Amino acid sequence: MDIDVSPLILNWQFILTGLGFTISLSLLSIILGAAIGIFGGVARTYGGPLLDTIVGVYVDLVRSIPVLAILVWTYFAFPLVIGESLTPFTGGVLALGVHLGAYITETIRAGLTSVRPGQMRAALALGMSRTQAIRTIILPQAVIRMLPPLGSLIVIAVKDSAIASVIAVPELLRQSQVLAGKTFRPFEIYTSAMLIYFLICYPTARMIDRIYRNLAPLGAS
Amino acid sequence: MTLDWSVVWDNRWRLIAGAEMTILLTAITMMLALPGGLILALLRLSPLRAVRSATTWFVEFFRATPLILQIYWMFYVLPAAFDIRLSEFATALLGLTLNVSSFNSETFRAGIQSIRPGQWNAGLALGMSKPQVMRKIILPQATVRVLPALASTWVSLFKDTSLVSIIAVADLSYVALKIRSETYRVLEVLTAMAALYCLMGYPQAKLVDWLHRRLKVTE
Amino acid sequence: MSIRTETPTRPRIGSDAAPILSFDNVCKRYGSLDALAGVTFQVNRGEVVCLIGPSGSGKSTLLRCANALESIDSGRVLMDGRDVHDRRTDARNLRRRMGMVFQNFELFPHLTVLRNVAVGPTTVLRMPAAGAAARAMELLRKVGLGDKAAQYPAALSGGQQQRVAIARALAMQPDVMLFDEPTSALDPETIGEVLSVMKRLADEGMTMVVVTHEMDFAKRVGNWIVVFDHGKVVEQGPPRQVFEEPTIQRTRDFLSHLGWHGESLAASDLLVPAPSGSYEHRTSD
Ligand SMILES: Nc1ncnc2c1ncn2[C@@H]1O[C@H](COP(=O)(O)OP(=O)(O)OP(=O)(O)O)[C@@H](O)[C@H]1O
Ligand SMILES: [Mg+2]
Repeated sequence: MDIDVSPLILNWQFILTGLGFTISLSLLSIILGAAIGIFGGVARTYGGPLLDTIVGVYVDLVRSIPVLAILVWTYFAFPLVIGESLTPFTGGVLALGVHLGAYITETIRAGLTSVRPGQMRAALALGMSRTQAIRTIILPQAVIRMLPPLGSLIVIAVKDSAIASVIAVPELLRQSQVLAGKTFRPFEIYTSAMLIYFLICYPTARMIDRIYRNLAPLGAS
Repeated sequence: MTLDWSVVWDNRWRLIAGAEMTILLTAITMMLALPGGLILALLRLSPLRAVRSATTWFVEFFRATPLILQIYWMFYVLPAAFDIRLSEFATALLGLTLNVSSFNSETFRAGIQSIRPGQWNAGLALGMSKPQVMRKIILPQATVRVLPALASTWVSLFKDTSLVSIIAVADLSYVALKIRSETYRVLEVLTAMAALYCLMGYPQAKLVDWLHRRLKVTE
Repeated sequence: MSIRTETPTRPRIGSDAAPILSFDNVCKRYGSLDALAGVTFQVNRGEVVCLIGPSGSGKSTLLRCANALESIDSGRVLMDGRDVHDRRTDARNLRRRMGMVFQNFELFPHLTVLRNVAVGPTTVLRMPAAGAAARAMELLRKVGLGDKAAQYPAALSGGQQQRVAIARALAMQPDVMLFDEPTSALDPETIGEVLSVMKRLADEGMTMVVVTHEMDFAKRVGNWIVVFDHGKVVEQGPPRQVFEEPTIQRTRDFLSHLGWHGESLAASDLLVPAPSGSYEHRTSD
């Protein structure tokens, strides 16, 4: 088997554009997912039974549907509902963010409920309001505890962004497909794409592990 | 906007066949990935350094790259670069199995490591050999601990099988996307696809929650 | 060291004085369980009232009802004449006038020791950070932990953590301090340092309600002892009376269960007063 890296070298800008889209797609979906997740997690834990049920339905729905189905539905079907078309990128951010948000919701909820009830009592006993107690005492501890699962969710977000290739977001995988079709060098191109994903995801996972190990005692009430 | 749901009913048998393929792929993959994961986990405990690190990199690589890309890679690279020709179904199965085996190996490893070292010592003190301790003492205890994690992996796998539709394996996604392009009833067909996944996935997700609550390790 | 000191127990502060905290027939149910079944007693300003009684008798529940962390089913809790559980009462306002110390400290693990003490004043009283830090530092020195200000709670021993918790409660400048078994999660060696701090606090005139199994402390520092059993006050009176001549068999049983046999009391090393100016407990060094 002969290896020819020239298609990679000749098309490095094309690949770089894809990488740019992968990163921005992941970051934006993480931001959207985190916003949904913090709201959802707090609402499920402290928002009373009605909010808990509503957010619970969202979480269960998303957890039982593949991200591919959510992506194609958001991009192809959702515009028919709202009567407004979406760009692939917007559709991708929306779908991936809503998908991720459900998992972050559950992670944050687990974190919040795992903080000993005594911590809430101690905060209230100082005269704090519930909101103050959640913000300054409970949430920071919960987030520290939840670092490992949140870290895996970040890695999952990057990996899931590749699925947006099916709705033609010009991210890394999509660009690789185009390039592989043009140059007939699938081995070189798909393998490098694989390496690039690995070089993003693996160090990210390790870094979050390291951060967590340093912070762990601060979350252990 | 007028909706015409008859398209879903008219194509019910095709959708059901797709759902069957989804379930079949999930089941066969898991059946292969359980021993696969166990082998990888045991290889990572091997006394040979080279074996340990090779296995570790293999596992880390599959965990840190997108499954959809792994499937593409198997589909395009194996025949082109290595002249290995597999059917779409076999390619899908290979990709899913390697991926899930890697995740399972981490689950098994964590399970094995969660057993206190005292258990090893207790077994060895009875005069058992290391493999005996592993088989008789450690693995049975670890099994209970890894069950919830394996169940979660099962549900992820069930959903991830949808990705094989990109290489034309006729699972639920593939069938639904095909019906969509034949009939142009986009909203109806895609909603039905999501609903069908939900119908099958929801009870599984709830079962997993129950398992997690039930088998929560309290030590 | 074992000095037999006949500290005369302090008399109850004039019973005609308006009580700062009073419980009037307080009832609290958990499902079918009567955690509190009509509790009545009073705490006067400047007094140390010790609550004793077997496990599960409702002592912790009572403290939580005192600052409205828990609702009550009937009866009244009055703080300075205001009904704590009345819907028109601002519970948060009352809570900050009652410091609370928990059995397992409940320090905030993600904040430094200094910030643990300062977080109440900054978030609740909206005190500027610098002022709150200065107050916190002063209190930490008072409990002998000035040098630990920058540490995180996990780095401290149990006794040190509990002293920080006391400083945290004091930072709100409360009128009453509620202690829920402050020493029962501690190693025997560190119990003394916490009790010294509490004794000094009592000597300074702080009003305190202390749930405790430390009978030495109750006898020496308490003005008034309230004995709980099954959610009821079965006996109350000055320490002399409750410890030396308990009128109720149940009290006698409980005390002897704790190894208390009236006269055989020897002064405990634990309560050697700390040198003035510091609450720090001096160990053998
Ligand atoms: N949140 C709760 N829900 C249900 N039952 C409770 C709750 N809190 C306390 N109880 C019950 O109320 C009773 C009184 O509990 P409480 O904690 O007040 O006792 P205690 O006197 O403080 O005991 P201990 O010395 O063990 O701390 C116990 O039987 C306990 O099981
Ligand atoms: Mg108690």
